[in-house]
Amino acid sequence: MNDASHANHAPNAMTGDAPTPGQAAASRPVIEAHDLRKVYTLGAGMEVHALRGLDLRVMPGEYAAIMGPSGSGKSTLLQILGCLDTPTSGSYQLSGEEVADLDEERLSQVRNRRIGFVFQAYNLLGRASALENVALPLMYRGVNARARRDAARNALDRVGLADRMGHRPNELSGGQKQRVAIARALATEPDILLADEPTGNLDSKTGQEILGLFDALHAEGRTILMVTHEEDVAEHTERIIRIRDGVVEASESVTQRRRPTLMPGGAEG
Amino acid sequence: MLFENVRTAFVALLENRLRSLLTLLGVVIGVFAVTSTVSLGEIATAGITGEIQAFGSQTLFVQVLFDEPGAEPFTDDDVEALSRLPIAILLQQTAGATGVVGEERVSLRLVGTVADAPEIDRSIELARGRYFSPDDAARAASVIVLSADAAEELFPNDDDPVGEDILVEVRGGRVLYTVIGVKEPVGGALGTFANDVSGDLPLETLYRDVPGIRQGEYDFLPISIDLDRDASIVEQQVTSILDRRRPPDTYAVQTIEGALSLFNTITVILQALLGGIGAISLLVGGIGILNIMLVSVTERTREIGLRKALGATPQTILQQFLIEAVFLTVLGGAVGVALSIASLWGIVQVVPFLDVFVINPVVVAMAFLVSVATGVIFGVWPARRAAALSPIEALRYE
Repeated sequence: MNDASHANHAPNAMTGDAPTPGQAAASRPVIEAHDLRKVYTLGAGMEVHALRGLDLRVMPGEYAAIMGPSGSGKSTLLQILGCLDTPTSGSYQLSGEEVADLDEERLSQVRNRRIGFVFQAYNLLGRASALENVALPLMYRGVNARARRDAARNALDRVGLADRMGHRPNELSGGQKQRVAIARALATEPDILLADEPTGNLDSKTGQEILGLFDALHAEGRTILMVTHEEDVAEHTERIIRIRDGVVEASESVTQRRRPTLMPGGAEG
Repeated sequence: MLFENVRTAFVALLENRLRSLLTLLGVVIGVFAVTSTVSLGEIATAGITGEIQAFGSQTLFVQVLFDEPGAEPFTDDDVEALSRLPIAILLQQTAGATGVVGEERVSLRLVGTVADAPEIDRSIELARGRYFSPDDAARAASVIVLSADAAEELFPNDDDPVGEDILVEVRGGRVLYTVIGVKEPVGGALGTFANDVSGDLPLETLYRDVPGIRQGEYDFLPISIDLDRDASIVEQQVTSILDRRRPPDTYAVQTIEGALSLFNTITVILQALLGGIGAISLLVGGIGILNIMLVSVTERTREIGLRKALGATPQTILQQFLIEAVFLTVLGGAVGVALSIASLWGIVQVVPFLDVFVINPVVVAMAFLVSVATGVIFGVWPARRAAALSPIEALRYE
């Protein structure tokens, strides 16, 4: 019911572990979720139904926002899509692969290679430098130290933090921390970038700069899915997926787009 | 990946210096305390045992039990009867006296004995002068050989009292003796614990100067057994000879081990006490390790969640935590053992009667293993639980 038919990108063979964003293709969706359900059991037998049979399809190269009131299940959805959590039932195919069939080991690989997750609270290792934080997922992929450092440098350069590589998170502003987190998500060249309220902890000016960065990444052809509860944040994207009570209520194309003019790496707090 | 994980583990240890240091400290204290206390007990035992072996494994003591009805002192006839055995009997009579030198008045035990006493009691060695001769004995010479403690107390400012005179007050009489020799201090644990203020003089002199001592009667006979004889067989022979001459229950035959059983008991109690303290230290150290590990769980659970979210497998995470825990505890254990060896060695150098340096490898191994096991179990177990959570649960952990 929520078919998203944005087929405006080149075909993708879907064979490689980390397809280059620019060549993302339309023949198969990146995300294909069907009848997703998530039930949390609280103490005293209380059950909370966060997702109640949700269907979702995201095509390569899409730039979409997931919106909904608090408690609607939007964060739960993003966490399941990011393989950080598992659904109670339902089918979730990531790049054509059924996630429920994967064992721990394979699931770790999927998190590592296919997904770049940006958290609202940044979640950086506090005592590691920006460069080390960004290189961390590459270490778990088995990339050698030199290649790791090069890739992490490129990613930090891409988010405009070339001059902050040796800084620790406590020496960086909120916006800079979020840029490091985005660089970390980008460093592995994932199939999809998932962001959970990426501007939620930032002031509006810094938030706009981060959004500008996402816009630019989208312009490069990356697939981006972002949870937000702010309408003006959502309007940066091409599509707004509205969720209420654990199901998709509406999926709207964003017509009036404000094309980003900001270059990433602009000065901020 | 192993190399990367070793690196990650070391980075994590360095990043959390305080926690690493406290864990390390817990292991160091545990291992150090157990190893030191138990080994100290063993060193003390070894010191005393060595003393017994050097001095007395071939010595018996025969003593009259005056509390028993029919008990009589040993006589020269008894000594004569026993002398058929391959033994040497040290004839002794003692009397309490007071030694006076100038202002010094010291309680002095007079030991009347025979001129060949140093051959029978091998613990007698002279620091200065000479022992009295058979000729001194024959003419009941007024000479005295002081114990080291007696020389020290009577002549506190005189390193060499040989040739000096002592006024001895004994049982109402006063006599003047010339010091002809000073004995070496009694070595080992016995000497350290016992204060022996005495002077040896010929039996003949004692009989002449001390009224009330009956000639040819002895309450106590130290017997030295020839070194090539089996002490327990000789002990039986001594008993059987004496049993034919007097009621069996009126005297006691004791080996020096028996006489020293009190020391052994003290040592055993000491060892048990030290071992107990050691065990408590190990427990405290273990709880310290456990506490640090558990306190860091929240922080580390989030770290584990993040690492999992970025693609770390549970095995990789467990490996990292295992490397951290093993490194910390093994290093701590090694430092603890090294500290313990160093301080025990120092104690052995400083304390005179401890001359045997022993480290019990079983105790070291046990302390080491318990500490390492505590550190590893409580370092890895929470990590294992955290690694089993979904990344988002671990990240949410409060």
